Amino acid sequence: MESIVVIKDVTKVIKGRTIIDNISFDVNKGEVFGFLGPNGAGKTTTIRMIVGLIDITSGDITIGGSSIKTKFEDAVRHVGAIVENPEMYKFLSGYQNLIHYARMVKGITKDKIDETVKLVGLSDRIHDKVKTYSLGMRQRLGLAQCLLHDPKVLILDEPTNGLDPAGIREIRDYIRLLAREKGMAVIVSSHILSEMEMMCDRIGIIQNGRLIDVQMVQEFVHGNTASFEFEIIPSEKAMTLLKTQFSTIPATNSRNGITLELPKEDVPAMVKKFVEEDIQVYGIKEVSKTLEDRFLEVTSDKETVDHD
Amino acid sequence: MINLIRNELMKIFRRPGTYVMIAILLVIVSVTGVFMKYNLVEEEPNVTEDWKPVLQQENEALKKQLESSQFKTEQDYYKKQIEINEYRIEHDIPFREKYHLWSFVKDNSELILLAGLFTIVISAGIVASEFSWGTIKLLLIRPINRSKILLSKYLTVLLFALFMVGILFVFSALLGAILFGMPEQAVPYLNYFNGKITEQHIIVHLIIYYGLGSIEMMMLTTMAFMISSVFRNSSLAIGLSLFLMFTGSQFTALISMKFDWAKYILFANTNLMQYLEGTPLLEGMTMSFSIIMLLIYFVIFQLLAFYVFNKRDIAA
Repeated sequence: MESIVVIKDVTKVIKGRTIIDNISFDVNKGEVFGFLGPNGAGKTTTIRMIVGLIDITSGDITIGGSSIKTKFEDAVRHVGAIVENPEMYKFLSGYQNLIHYARMVKGITKDKIDETVKLVGLSDRIHDKVKTYSLGMRQRLGLAQCLLHDPKVLILDEPTNGLDPAGIREIRDYIRLLAREKGMAVIVSSHILSEMEMMCDRIGIIQNGRLIDVQMVQEFVHGNTASFEFEIIPSEKAMTLLKTQFSTIPATNSRNGITLELPKEDVPAMVKKFVEEDIQVYGIKEVSKTLEDRFLEVTSDKETVDHD
Repeated sequence: MINLIRNELMKIFRRPGTYVMIAILLVIVSVTGVFMKYNLVEEEPNVTEDWKPVLQQENEALKKQLESSQFKTEQDYYKKQIEINEYRIEHDIPFREKYHLWSFVKDNSELILLAGLFTIVISAGIVASEFSWGTIKLLLIRPINRSKILLSKYLTVLLFALFMVGILFVFSALLGAILFGMPEQAVPYLNYFNGKITEQHIIVHLIIYYGLGSIEMMMLTTMAFMISSVFRNSSLAIGLSLFLMFTGSQFTALISMKFDWAKYILFANTNLMQYLEGTPLLEGMTMSFSIIMLLIYFVIFQLLAFYVFNKRDIAA
């Protein structure tokens, strides 16, 4: 894997307050990297540092090998970004907006603009004034604006903010397509977990300005153990059995029986045990944990550690 | 850089407000023209054929005043008038002529103030608006450094100023030609500088006149630009600049009656015309002094604007 964005020991201090505390991570070509965290955790600040909108107090960020601090122009050349809402010049048409940005990078032809407009599906309305656009259309124009110069890195801050389900899906599919087919690295930030789960290959969790964890989404969601819901009667008997003989296995009462966290290969043995103890087993179901559960787990773990 | 300026011009001329400004400028010039036309009919010229004796009489009177005068500035003024009158008599250049198109253009130089007002509005908005629209984020993540972007914005403001003053000049000339007609003969303007009289073509003279008249407006525009870039606030930039535009010279004149340091105030120096015609605000002020002062102010404004713009964190 070739990393294109390298964030190294980045710290941001504003008025004596540490907003971002020593964050390091890499983003590779062709992957969608999710940047996850509660509101105010420092997602947007980090993104603004990556694109050079705000200064880095210490540490460095390189894009395609060039530092954003010392070689801003070379570094930012590889980047297309939407930072927060895609604000455009409302009194200009969509097309004029694109011309405006096209003029700021060398070598963007009229054909390229037309192609990009077609790609984001705005051909019908591109000559209308932006003030007549819906939020979804502005979002797409924003996307067109950052794709004009064929960037190697796409940075989207809350790209699905305010979109309807169809729009969210469209953007999601589109981001996956760009990463897979064009080999772009995409950095997406969000606090909507289900969305990140579907969109990203890898996620980094940020909380209170610190990067808590970077993991593959699959690994992150499943972890090492899985949960299984046992539909059994009587569940009280099973619980006492578990408490006395298997106190290491976390068990909780659920709607149809009990839920156990244990490795998959231990499931048959558990069933056997229940049958031997005369407990009726009606069904076993794997309960996949959502990113949300994991996220809350990870962030609250961290918090208790902090308080100790 | 040319592309950046084209972008800025697009953003100015795609907004209806700009055309309202141009329209107001044209309407005011027209109203002035019509007003002049009807007023002039009443006091139609006492262009006498016999103007030489009148000038001679005037010179006699001036000479007496010169002898009794005690102030150097007053003496200079009398000397200048006498010399110009003598030059007229000698070279047969009548001192008063009919009101014609160039007189109208010259009178309309007062309206540079109005062109300046509109330029200040544009200048105050050109940086601050990007912040209030939120478009600054998309503007500053292009492979162009911030200084270049700010410079392109400043150059655009200069172009706009030139455009407004140009409109004023050309439209005044056109309207003047229609309403008042061409001068009967090409009368040169007599330029008195350092005790010497030179003849100047009237158009050259007027262009210089307009150029010097635009200095105050340019300095205020630069100041508005600086405030716009430092405080990201167009209302503050417009408000402060216009306030100074209308009161600055009066305040400076008041201060200069009591204090000598008034000569370091920006507005004491913006009127370079005071060295060409008339007398300086304070004794000891010279053209080069004023130019240096103007340059110092200009550099300070620009340094502030560029330093803050480059350093600023673009946060929400």
